[in-house]
Amino acid sequence: MPAGFTAADFYYLLPEILLTAGALLVLVVDLLAPRRDSAVLGTALATLAVSGVAVLAFAGLDTTISAGLLAVDGFAAFFKVLFLLSAGITLLMSVPYLQVEGVRPGEFCFLILCATLGMMFMASGIDLITLFIGLETMAISFYILTGFLKPSRRSNEAAVKYFLLGAFSLGLLLYGMSLFYGVTGTTSLAGIADALAGSEGSLLLSLALILLGAGMGFKIAAVPFHMWAPDVYEGAPTPVTAFLSVGSKAASFAMLLRILLDGIPGLVADWQVFFWALAAVSMTVGNIAAITQSNVKRMLAYSSIAHAGYVLIGVVAASDRGVTATMVYLWVYLFMQLGAFAILSMLRRKDVVGDELKDLSGLYFRQPAAAIAMLIFMLSLGGIPPTAGFMGKFWLFSAAIDSGFIWLAVIGVINSAISLYYYVRVVVFMWLKEETLGSPIVIRPAIATALVIAVVGSVLFGVYPQALFDQAQSATEMLGASAPAAVLYQP
Amino acid sequence: MEPIISVLVGVLMAATVYLMLSRNFVRFIFGLALLSHAANLVIFASGGMTRARPPLIAAGESQPLSDVSNAVPQALMLTAIVISFSLLTFALVLAFRTFQELETVDTDRMRAAEPSPEGAGDEARERAVD
Amino acid sequence: MTGPPYVRLAVALPALLFVWFCTMIPAVSAGEILVWELAWLPQLGIDLDFVVDGLSLLFALLITGIGAFVFLFAGVYMRGYPQRGRFTLFLVSFMLAMLGLVLADNLIALFVFWELTTITSFLLIGYSHENATARRAALQGLLVTGAGALAMLAGFVVLGQAAGTFSLREMLASDPATFADHPRYTAIVVLVLLGAFTKSAQFPFHFWLPNAMAAPTPVSAYLHSATMVKAGVFLLTRLTPLLGGTQLWMETLTVVGAVTAVYAAFVSLGRSDLKQVLAYTTVMALGTCVLFLGSSPVPGPGEVSRGVLAALAFLVAHALYKAALFLVAGTIEKATGTRDLARLGGLWRAMPVTFAAAVAASVSMAGVPYSVGFLGKELLYTVGFAPDTPAWLPWAAFLAAAPVATIAIVLACQPFLGPRPEYPKPGREGHWALWCGPVVLGALGIYWGLAPEFPFLRLLVPAETAVLGQALVSDPGHAPWHSTGEALALTLATLGVAGLGFRMRGAVAEALAGLRRWIPLSGDRAYDAAMDGIAGAAVWQTRRLQSGVQRHYLLIVFATLGLSLAVTLWIKDVFPGPVRWTEAALLEWSLAALVAAASIVIIRSRSRLLCICALGVVGVSTALIFLLFGAPDVAMTQLTVETLVTVIVAIVLLKLPNFSNEVWPSGPARLGNAFVAVTVGIGVTLLMLAVTASPPQPDLQEYFERTAVPGGQGRNIVNVILVDFRALDTMGEITVLAIAGAAVFAMLLPGPRRRKDAPLPGPGGIMDTVILRETTRRLVPLILIFSVFLLLRGHEQPGGGFVGGLVASIALSLYAFVFGPQATRGILRVDPRAVGAVGLAVAIASGFIGSIRGAAPFLTGQWGTLAGLKIGTPVMFDVGVYLVVIGVVMTFVIRIKEQ
Repeated sequence: MPAGFTAADFYYLLPEILLTAGALLVLVVDLLAPRRDSAVLGTALATLAVSGVAVLAFAGLDTTISAGLLAVDGFAAFFKVLFLLSAGITLLMSVPYLQVEGVRPGEFCFLILCATLGMMFMASGIDLITLFIGLETMAISFYILTGFLKPSRRSNEAAVKYFLLGAFSLGLLLYGMSLFYGVTGTTSLAGIADALAGSEGSLLLSLALILLGAGMGFKIAAVPFHMWAPDVYEGAPTPVTAFLSVGSKAASFAMLLRILLDGIPGLVADWQVFFWALAAVSMTVGNIAAITQSNVKRMLAYSSIAHAGYVLIGVVAASDRGVTATMVYLWVYLFMQLGAFAILSMLRRKDVVGDELKDLSGLYFRQPAAAIAMLIFMLSLGGIPPTAGFMGKFWLFSAAIDSGFIWLAVIGVINSAISLYYYVRVVVFMWLKEETLGSPIVIRPAIATALVIAVVGSVLFGVYPQALFDQAQSATEMLGASAPAAVLYQP
Repeated sequence: MEPIISVLVGVLMAATVYLMLSRNFVRFIFGLALLSHAANLVIFASGGMTRARPPLIAAGESQPLSDVSNAVPQALMLTAIVISFSLLTFALVLAFRTFQELETVDTDRMRAAEPSPEGAGDEARERAVD
Repeated sequence: MTGPPYVRLAVALPALLFVWFCTMIPAVSAGEILVWELAWLPQLGIDLDFVVDGLSLLFALLITGIGAFVFLFAGVYMRGYPQRGRFTLFLVSFMLAMLGLVLADNLIALFVFWELTTITSFLLIGYSHENATARRAALQGLLVTGAGALAMLAGFVVLGQAAGTFSLREMLASDPATFADHPRYTAIVVLVLLGAFTKSAQFPFHFWLPNAMAAPTPVSAYLHSATMVKAGVFLLTRLTPLLGGTQLWMETLTVVGAVTAVYAAFVSLGRSDLKQVLAYTTVMALGTCVLFLGSSPVPGPGEVSRGVLAALAFLVAHALYKAALFLVAGTIEKATGTRDLARLGGLWRAMPVTFAAAVAASVSMAGVPYSVGFLGKELLYTVGFAPDTPAWLPWAAFLAAAPVATIAIVLACQPFLGPRPEYPKPGREGHWALWCGPVVLGALGIYWGLAPEFPFLRLLVPAETAVLGQALVSDPGHAPWHSTGEALALTLATLGVAGLGFRMRGAVAEALAGLRRWIPLSGDRAYDAAMDGIAGAAVWQTRRLQSGVQRHYLLIVFATLGLSLAVTLWIKDVFPGPVRWTEAALLEWSLAALVAAASIVIIRSRSRLLCICALGVVGVSTALIFLLFGAPDVAMTQLTVETLVTVIVAIVLLKLPNFSNEVWPSGPARLGNAFVAVTVGIGVTLLMLAVTASPPQPDLQEYFERTAVPGGQGRNIVNVILVDFRALDTMGEITVLAIAGAAVFAMLLPGPRRRKDAPLPGPGGIMDTVILRETTRRLVPLILIFSVFLLLRGHEQPGGGFVGGLVASIALSLYAFVFGPQATRGILRVDPRAVGAVGLAVAIASGFIGSIRGAAPFLTGQWGTLAGLKIGTPVMFDVGVYLVVIGVVMTFVIRIKEQ
């Protein structure tokens, strides 16, 4: 192999290797351990933690490995920690939920870990094929997870819809990637950037971009590629929905940023127009549709569509500030969105499905702590200070204004105002409505842990976002500047 | 050759789209299979097509002696084939189980349609008793 | 006073803060600015600096001073209400947020506190949650002010960009012309005004405030009269030197303020609920403040303009008397059980102290000479008659003030004088904590009117100075509260008209009721209409886009892609060049024709078998194309995959309904689908022509050709790329395959609710004949050996782990068909899942070997010779691939056969 590698290179893949090994171990533990549930959960969580330590150990690096297929840099590390944390919270909220549903956690945990593995490749891949395979690993895990509730008609429908549209979108993506390969003769992002440098965009590149954008649009659930999201979010098991809306979205944004900024910065004018339109439509359609929903999961699906629009604002800005804002917002979104879903998981009982608005009625009088947590999540999603959601939105909108996209920021602000309506409606139900019947609501330790993490994140990064900003900023600096994949590309 | 492949890809894509727009899950899966063929041809054609020799290196040589076909798209296609094979397998299982659960393969009948607008904006409807 | 200990503590907090702020009066009135700096987000330009200057001190004193009395009052008033701890907590949070709002130096921090007051207001209005009116009012208040605040935030951000800072101090220090001439000045003003107007209940956003009276009375007194609703006025005052003075600013403020004031004043006349009356007069007062803030240009050095001072003086007067009157209203309701003016009367004997407080407050409210209200009104009129203000201005103020003065008389007389009706409650004087506040505040309103030096020189003028950044030169010998003759005349006229109005109040109320019927539009109704409209639009839009029908979704996607395509073509105006129809031999044409024909069969045929065969034809034809153009590896893999796919598709389709009953979309929809399909096909063809028109870049190809042998120790370049150069990708790819295997396993587990008529696992295969059995028994080992051969030669010749695994799978599947799944499990010895897992583990392990031995990256090929055979880790990796493929395919076949 080409020279220039050191012994340390091997270790840089350690997070992914540990995750794979842990996933296999989960299956083994599921077969062997007598008290399966806690053992399986413990193994899975430990895997995430160990992998996280490995990620953090290399967080300060900026290098490429595996013959220029992967980057080990701050950008990847930033997202990897995000994925691992959201997977952890998802697992915490899922075990009690799965108990009620009567599903064995072995394969479930395995698939969550596999999905996380895919996400990690999406964050650090700097080659179209590696990115595509990462995406595929994640996607196929989610197809299965979506349909995990066997007796549920909704779950099954959700799986079919997600798969059909997902497979189709992957086709679009692959097609777009092939066109880039066809034009530039390479699949390495740096190689593509070099090949496109100086050349003015052509019709062909624009079309490749549209196909790529459409494929990614599916994954981030941006309008008009969002239609799967409400049906899938509602039908899938609640923890899966949570992970789908946070992890999958963040990973897709990581991949999108890599491709756009590392691979095709030369086409910035083209993709700004495309994603501008996507952002504006996503925010508007998502928020307006969310208003009519009486099912909280469905409402959060539309809200998640709207959030894809908000986050795209940062992408459109295409400045360091914009990218930082995007990354910060995805982190913030993790806490508030997973928190809201943890509450819904908590509400799932033998006699209550727990995802309708009315199921939240009088929550304040039954579980005040949970209601206060939900209040924080809703305010944060609505972008109300002093929550983290406000800081995220503020940063996004200022980035847009900075780059001259005033109208996009204005559309964002109007949409935030609209969104207040439905977030507050949840609060109204919890605080101002009478109690309803149904068996008592119990906060299990696992859910409580998930909630505490989510609340702390939603508040801390609202009151003191400095640390997060610093991390995101240094991660941003590594993007675009990551060393070119010299090995593969240089003749 | 490339023009023929271009037309061929067009035909395959048209068939794919038409099948995916049908109501039958099984036809959709057929569409998916055609889509993967189309994708392979796209990659193949993008790498340049010549009636050249396979990308093999004769024993004792360190490089191919004559012009050989481009190996890179071939490796990519093999990856794509495996992926689409996985997807197809999964699609078949999904179709099978869906039919068991829902007793239909008609995608029009699989709809978690939007819930009725009742309950929407009921807070707004609560009028003041002024 | 009584109540839980935390209630008493809660009273102490505003009182102590009030005292603390009082100690700052001397320094601040001397022009000093006290600053507490607290870094928060320096790199975003957001700091948590608190600044006490004249203006913020004035507000801080109002907040804490009135707050102390309100807290005291609430301690008794809220007795018997549930959850008092929560109530107190919200009230304290509100007070702190409000203090933050007026003291914050940073606009973003100000916004944060602003929204906090909105939230606490929401929670306090909705305190009586069992009441639907309260719930609606709470939500309405939040939505109106919250939406306005977001607009304001946008305005702040644009303002901050224009100024280069979010700090108010720094902004005020810069040249005001920076802002007035800024290209985005209009946007800034409009956005900021939206926030201020919604918060301070300006027409047409005023409606939420009267509805907010559903809150408990202490909340109404504190938030919705004395403090929170004044935040908008506060902000406008603060920003006057930055944004004020332009035509846009002045006209908007005066017109909106005047309309609000006059409208609210007249509406208040027609109301009989005490709190509604007070709410509308509050709106009137806020309108008046806005009117006068916009009344005059920002004075330059040496000029005298007292618009700001007038507005502030009126604001202080209003805060004092209105808080008192609200508390009086609460006391009366507590004592009698009603707050309907028509049902009140004769209370003066039973409630003398409350009566006195009400009279004192009303005197100030009416503007009777030598009350604070009088001084405030005098100043207003004086400013109104100043030469640089519009001539209509004092008359608008008069038109608003006269009805309010009438109301003041009503408030002082109606509940206390006249005959005493029967009340649901005893109607006696209550606890001292109830009347303490009204008495002190009412008395202060009179006392300061008599001795105006302290409030004006120590509080109001410093506030004005803080706003305008300079002490205004006033006429020597004239106190700031000195007024002109016209103003005095108009004040007296106001009182006269008010008296007249009081005498004829019955007729006035009737006339107003008549007038009201003629006005079809109210803000409240508009709010409902807007809410319904949004909900309706939402339902409509959602039904259009989210039909639940998956093919509609796809159509939307195609439409979008088509649109993007069209737009791009339109913008870019380029098209692929001429096509080279060369080098096409008959063989290639016939292959293409075969594929096309097979595609049509798949679309049209109603026979499943035919469709499967056609699919096979497509696969084989493409494989032949690959073979023709020098890709034997791909062709081989394609062929084996195709064989396997045909087999498993056939197995599954047998278990699914056949095509005879399938439903196609309706005729026109099919035509539409066909149109879309053909369009996509043509588009794709054109694209492909464009891509292939330019020769491919040879760099990468040449690189691999040069390095395959020295770097990868292999002669099959494709295989070298797969298992060495890009082994990581292949690793990922077999992971996907393994996950698909897990999916097959998980999804085909017997579910808890398996249908009874599901096919039972058969004992043997479907094609159970003797000849087949014997053939299979001999054939399977041969194929398996061939598969291992393919696997091992992969690095040098076409072949490899993947194709080998597929061939082996075909053999084992054949075995499963003939002898049944159980027998197949028997010859595999282990669960097929385990085969897959071992394969994955082997592949990973091969990567480690390279790393450990050669200190090279994961999955770097390592070669050596063992017993004369050249072996290397890539071969081991390929073995892993081989096993994964077998594991997954066999899991599938066995599982599905067992169903």
